[in-house]
Amino acid sequence: MTAILEAKDIVKRFGGLVAVNRVSLTVNEGEIFGLIGPNGAGKTTFLNSIAGTFKPNAGVVRFLGRETTGFRSDVMCKLGMSRTFQISQPFPKLTALENVMVSAVFGNERGAVRDPEAWSRQMLDFVEFPMPPDTRADNLNTVQLKRLDLARALASKPKLLLLDELAAGLTTGELDDLMAIIRKIRDSGVTIVMVEHIMRVIMGLCDRIVVIHYGEKIAEGTPEEVAHDPKVAEAYLGEKYIL
Amino acid sequence: MARSSVQSTIVFEVLRRLTTAAGITIILSVVAVIVSAVVAGPFTLVNAIVTGGMWALLAVGLSLVFGVMNIPNFAHGEFFMVGTLVSYLVFTPLHKYLRQNPSSVLSTVAPFAGIFAALLVGALLGVVVEKLIFFQLRRRSREQWVMNSFLLTVGLSVVMINGHQLLWGTNFKGIPRYWDVKPIDLFGVNISMDRAVALGLAVVTIAIFWFFLMRTRTGRAIRAVAQDETGAQMVGIDLNRIQVLTMALSSALAAMAGASLLFMFPSYPTVGLKPLYVAWYVVILVGLGNVAGATIGGFLVALLQTLTSYFIGVGWEDVVPTALIILILLFKPSGLFGSEVKGVWEQ
Amino acid sequence: MQKTETVSARAGRLGNGLLSILNALGITPLGLALIILLAILPFIPPFDREDLLRWLVGAALIAAQAIAFDFTTGYINVVNFGFAAFLGFGAYTSALLAVDFGISPWIGMFVGALASGGLGFFTGVLTLRLRGIFAAVMAWFVGLALLGLARNLVDITRGPMGLSVPTFLETASNRPYFYIILVMLLITYLVLRWITSSHIGLAFKAIGQNIEAARASGVNPTFYRVFNFTVQCAFAGWLGGFYAHYYGILTPQLMHTSHTVEVLAIAYVGGRGSIWGGAFIAFPFIFFIEWLRSSLTSLPGLHLVIYGLLLILVMIFYPGGVAQFYYWIADRVGKARRGSAEQSG
Repeated sequence: MTAILEAKDIVKRFGGLVAVNRVSLTVNEGEIFGLIGPNGAGKTTFLNSIAGTFKPNAGVVRFLGRETTGFRSDVMCKLGMSRTFQISQPFPKLTALENVMVSAVFGNERGAVRDPEAWSRQMLDFVEFPMPPDTRADNLNTVQLKRLDLARALASKPKLLLLDELAAGLTTGELDDLMAIIRKIRDSGVTIVMVEHIMRVIMGLCDRIVVIHYGEKIAEGTPEEVAHDPKVAEAYLGEKYIL
Repeated sequence: MARSSVQSTIVFEVLRRLTTAAGITIILSVVAVIVSAVVAGPFTLVNAIVTGGMWALLAVGLSLVFGVMNIPNFAHGEFFMVGTLVSYLVFTPLHKYLRQNPSSVLSTVAPFAGIFAALLVGALLGVVVEKLIFFQLRRRSREQWVMNSFLLTVGLSVVMINGHQLLWGTNFKGIPRYWDVKPIDLFGVNISMDRAVALGLAVVTIAIFWFFLMRTRTGRAIRAVAQDETGAQMVGIDLNRIQVLTMALSSALAAMAGASLLFMFPSYPTVGLKPLYVAWYVVILVGLGNVAGATIGGFLVALLQTLTSYFIGVGWEDVVPTALIILILLFKPSGLFGSEVKGVWEQ
Repeated sequence: MQKTETVSARAGRLGNGLLSILNALGITPLGLALIILLAILPFIPPFDREDLLRWLVGAALIAAQAIAFDFTTGYINVVNFGFAAFLGFGAYTSALLAVDFGISPWIGMFVGALASGGLGFFTGVLTLRLRGIFAAVMAWFVGLALLGLARNLVDITRGPMGLSVPTFLETASNRPYFYIILVMLLITYLVLRWITSSHIGLAFKAIGQNIEAARASGVNPTFYRVFNFTVQCAFAGWLGGFYAHYYGILTPQLMHTSHTVEVLAIAYVGGRGSIWGGAFIAFPFIFFIEWLRSSLTSLPGLHLVIYGLLLILVMIFYPGGVAQFYYWIADRVGKARRGSAEQSG
């Protein structure tokens, strides 16, 4: 197994608040890696400091064997790390197809996608986007926007995909669809790191899990190991999650 | 362990702030004040302080509207213009009447009537503008709000400037002075009553405004909205009321500044442009939405302008500060004092 | 019978070929008709009168500026509030080259474009890392500084007294100038339209609509914003060159913010993000304004009040401007046609 992403002692502070405190983890090629923790634990902040939304205050990020600490997010995208957002970030006045095309054209080295339009259509089909491709993004609902966000992230042909609470707000049936799609993505050779709250998705998909609490890593292991870790149960005590 | 690390970060923060741009600027300007007072004579300094007070009033209003309503107001100078106009229209007939029927009490009070009328009209106009323009856009679309509201104020500015021209013409409507009394002698420097009162008004107004913003319920509500609109709404703050109030306050302050400086700035259609530039210099210099910094910034920019026109020449007082501000922003893009209002950069 | 059919078929194919070329250039048949109308207008009374020709030239100049303005505002969503100053910088560059070094205006205007583009590049590099409104205000400050320089460097620019500039042609007629600016207008449209309909245009729109998502999709916002800004400033400088060598006199007033506001109002009323909207509306608009100005001399400033009110009304009630209205009509016509075709078929 080779590591695709290594994060070492990542620290991110906002003023006096330490949102992420010395979190280290290694993601292996081809796995689905889960990042869980109570609300406000620092999961999204951790993703953001890896994906280049902002620079971490300390720590080292290695992606595909090279150091990428503090690289901007457009550079990370071109290197092969793409992401979805906790709250979908569409281009409101572009059509769904154009939304995906932005990433197909600019999200990788020039020429990696030979026909961006056809490739983007293929991506919309792949995520089972339920609307016509020429629908403007400001006419889509939250669930459709999440699918669009996923298609956009995939269109850049990433090697590593970061999913931030993609399953939030879905019905049981939609969850099953989404889980099938995520497995399909993994099977096509993309490594996945997912932040998620819904335990059914985490337990059903992830090969390994890291638990973050108050910005610190408190547990790591397979879903079963983590579920039986007393520290994890303690962290979630009082919250409505059942492991 | 955790506590001591927090404490050390606070100490670190304080040290950092003292040695950053803000601290250095303040130290430098104190030096500049002393040097200019020695070289250029104290009169230049008095001028800088008097106009500085009014720039601070303008900048505080501009900053407030940006912080609370996210509107970069390009028409802010036009409220200054309205202030000069109203005060002129009120004061001139009173002055004429007083020349025929002299009364020392009335001559002392009459200028305040003009300034107060300007304040009222400014506030009223602010309410009208908020209800008729900003509220209408906010109701329809909040997409790209900062840019769109900015363009609305551009339109508003054009209408107000040329409305003035249509109704009152382009001639200068000014007065030589408000008070016909001997200048005050302060350490051998003659300061005219108008200047002294203008400075006094600025200081008192800023103090009252500060108290209002920090200590009263409504003031706290305004600050809450500036920090987090949704959160403020959730704790029961009436957003509409705050927005109307903010706009009224800001334009009243601008109108008051215009009225107080009528002896320096006779009223004509585009009289508001220069104060507008200055208010924007200040606000950009200290950081958008930073109300506290705007007060200091007003004096800083006035000093900078006075020094420029004294040492380099009249006509350069726009060029040199601009160049300097651009230079400063190269190294401190968030303004000298940093912005204390979150969300300001998000659009 | 058969022969006429083949002829009409050939004509049809030719027509289709022409249409596809036009389509590739971004010109609709209606647009082509309007361009042809503009081209013959100087020979149709009353537009062959010199004063009306002057209005035509002015309108075409504003139209080209509105296109350049929309290229930035309507796409990357940055308002270049110092637009007029960049125009003036190009104008002064070209004018001073002609006055001091005797360089032909035809070359000078391109040097002016380069100069403005270069200045725009530096301004962009400095300001466009920042959020939109900040960039707008900073560009405005740069514009104010330029205006101040033009006023104060009297030895070079002659300041408010005005600099007299050699014109393009010896003729006193406005008609040849109209054709020069018409060609410049078309070039501006074709080049900027070509850029915005390419993949670069997609990056522009992405940045203008959601900068965070654009970044996450691999678009480098600073690069494309600076590129866009530089191109706009270069076109502004080029058009400034025409201004200088057409009117023959330059004052710093050209760089004033009110001139930016004029272009801005027309670009917005025409329709953001359409490229053509502002150019289309400029002609009727400028004629209306000029007519108003010349017939109501007792009410100075009224035309500007109308500018302001129109800008406010459009911004609040119809943010898409004339272009949105056109697309709405075209959509309805298209639907009606499809409907009738289905019925007959």
